[in-house]
Amino acid sequence: MPAIETVGLVKRFGSLAAVDGLSFEVEAGEIFGLLGPNGSGKTTTIRMLSCLIAPTEGQASVGGHDIRRDPLRVRETVGVLTENPSLYERLTAYENMEFFARAYGAADEAARAKRIREVLEFFELWGRRDERVGTYSKGMKQKLAIARAIVHNPEVLFLDEPTAGLDPKASKDIRDMMERLSRQEKHTILLCTHNLEDAERLCRHVMIINKGRSIVAGTTDELRKKIAGPPKLEVCLIKVTEQIMRTVEASENVKAVEVNGANTKLVIDVDDPDGSTPCVVKRIVDAGGLVRSVQLVEPSLEEAYLKLVKEAPV
Amino acid sequence: MRLDRALLVFGKDWREVRRNWEVILPIALVPLIFSVILPAVFFILPSSVGGSTSTGWIEALIRNMPGSVQAEMAGMSSLQVTTYVMALYFLAPFFLIIPVMASSVIASDSFAGEKERKTIEGLLATPLTDGELLLGKILVSFVPSMIVTLLSFTAYCASVDFFGYNLFGRLPLPNLSWLMLMLGLAPVVSLAAIGLTVIISARVRGFREAQQISVLLILPILGLLFGQAAGVLIFGPTMILILTGLFAVVDIVVFRVGLRLFQREEILSQTR
Repeated sequence: MPAIETVGLVKRFGSLAAVDGLSFEVEAGEIFGLLGPNGSGKTTTIRMLSCLIAPTEGQASVGGHDIRRDPLRVRETVGVLTENPSLYERLTAYENMEFFARAYGAADEAARAKRIREVLEFFELWGRRDERVGTYSKGMKQKLAIARAIVHNPEVLFLDEPTAGLDPKASKDIRDMMERLSRQEKHTILLCTHNLEDAERLCRHVMIINKGRSIVAGTTDELRKKIAGPPKLEVCLIKVTEQIMRTVEASENVKAVEVNGANTKLVIDVDDPDGSTPCVVKRIVDAGGLVRSVQLVEPSLEEAYLKLVKEAPV
Repeated sequence: MRLDRALLVFGKDWREVRRNWEVILPIALVPLIFSVILPAVFFILPSSVGGSTSTGWIEALIRNMPGSVQAEMAGMSSLQVTTYVMALYFLAPFFLIIPVMASSVIASDSFAGEKERKTIEGLLATPLTDGELLLGKILVSFVPSMIVTLLSFTAYCASVDFFGYNLFGRLPLPNLSWLMLMLGLAPVVSLAAIGLTVIISARVRGFREAQQISVLLILPILGLLFGQAAGVLIFGPTMILILTGLFAVVDIVVFRVGLRLFQREEILSQTR
C-alpha cells in the first residue's frame, strides 16, 4: 500500500482552484518531489494532506488513514515542516522538542528524552539544546524545525521548502539530512520545493505542478529525457572559427549549434548523440579545430522544469 | 478531550509568558498598586476632612442596602458608615474587573499571537484536539489572572485591616461575601471573559485587534459596578451565589460555542 495516495484532490478558495485534481502515489520510504513555482499549490496540498485544511473534492490517504474520515490519526502519523519553522523563540530547543514530542503522544518520559537526544545529536544541536531558539541562526532554526517534525518518528514527513533562504552550506547540510532520514530512518518524504537541485539530488519520482494542476510526473531521469530532450554534445576548443561552425552545421544529424561567448565551446544538438559524436568530432578536427575536451551533457531537471512551467496553459 | 494534553499547551504558553516581563509586569503591578492605594485613600481622606464626605449617592446606596447590611452598620458614626460602605461594598465589582483586565493581554495573544509569530501552523498540525487547544489557551490566561486577583485581594485585605482596625475596632476583611466573591464569582466571570477573548483571538488576524475587541467585555462588569453604586444590586452572599451560578452556565455555553467555532482552516486563513 502506498504511504501517500491522492485521487482527484481539489481545493477551492472561492472561485480560485488552488489545487485542481491532483492524483499521485508515494511509496513507503521514498522521497517524492512536488515541484512548482510560487503559488502553484504545493503548500495547499501539504496542508490538505496534514489535515490542516479540508479538500473541496477528491480523496487522499496518508499512512493508510483517510484524511477526511480520520484526521486525528493522520496528524499522529505525519511530521510537518511548515513554510515557517513554527518554533517558540522564548523556549529553548529542548523545550520545543519536549512540547512537540508530548503533543504527538510520546508519553514515556525516558523514551522521549532518549529520542529527543538522538534527534538533536543527529542535527548537531544537542550542545545548544538549552539555549533559547530566538538566539539561533536561520540554518539552526531550520534544522531544529526538521528535528521537531521527526521527533515522534512519523511514518510520513511533509517538508515544505526545507532549504528556502539558507546559505549553500546550510542547504547542503539539510539535503544530506534528508537523504539520511530516508535511507537510515526509512521516512517517507513528500518534498515540496522550487529548488531543483534539491529535487534532482534527492527524489526518484517528482511531479511538476503549476496553477494547482499536474503538468507531468515521473522519475527525474524520465522527465529530463522526455521534456528537455536527449543529451547534447559539448566540444571545448582552443578557438571556434567560422569554418568550424559552418562545417559542424553542415554535418549529418546536427540539428542546432550554439557557441559560447568566449568562442571556445560548441554545444551541439544532435540526433543519436552516441552514434554521431565520433563523426562530428572528426569533422571539427578536419576543419582545423584544436579539441580540448568532448562530453555528452545530460539536460538538467531545471531546463525541463523551466520549459514545462513556461509552456503550461494559463 | 484529555486534561493532561490541555495542560501541555498551558505549560508551553506559561513558560513563554513567564519569560516575557513586558507582559508580566503590567499584569501584576497595576492591580497590586490599585489594591493598596484605593483603600488608603478611602480611609485617610474622610478622616482628614473631618468625616463629612458622605455624599448624596453614598447615602442613597446605604438607604437601598438590604436590612442585613444595615444591621452590620448599626451604631456606626457617619465616617465609619461611609468608609465601611466604600471599602466593603463599593469596591467589590472592581475585583471582578481585575481578573478580566489581567487576563485580557494573555487571552488576546493566545491564538492571534501565534498567528503573528507564525507558530500557529505547527501547533494546529499536532494531534491535539480542538478542545485541548482551547482549554489549554483558556487556562494559561486564567491561572495568572487568578493569581494576580488573589494577591491583590490579599493586599487589599491587609490594607483595609491596617487602616480599618482603629476605626472599627476589628478586622473588617475578609468576610463571607468577599470570600465568595473572590473564590466563586471572580473565577467564573474571569473564565467567561477569557473564553470570549480566546474565541476572538482565534478569529482575528492579530493581537491588537483581539485586545481592542476584548476591552468591550468590561462593559457588563461596569454595569455591575454602576448597579451597586445606584443601590440596585448589592453584593451580598445571595446575590454573589446567584451570579456565580449564572456565570458558571455562561462559561459552559462560551466553551461549547468556542468549540463549535474552532475551525483550523479558518484560523490558518487569518495568518498574515
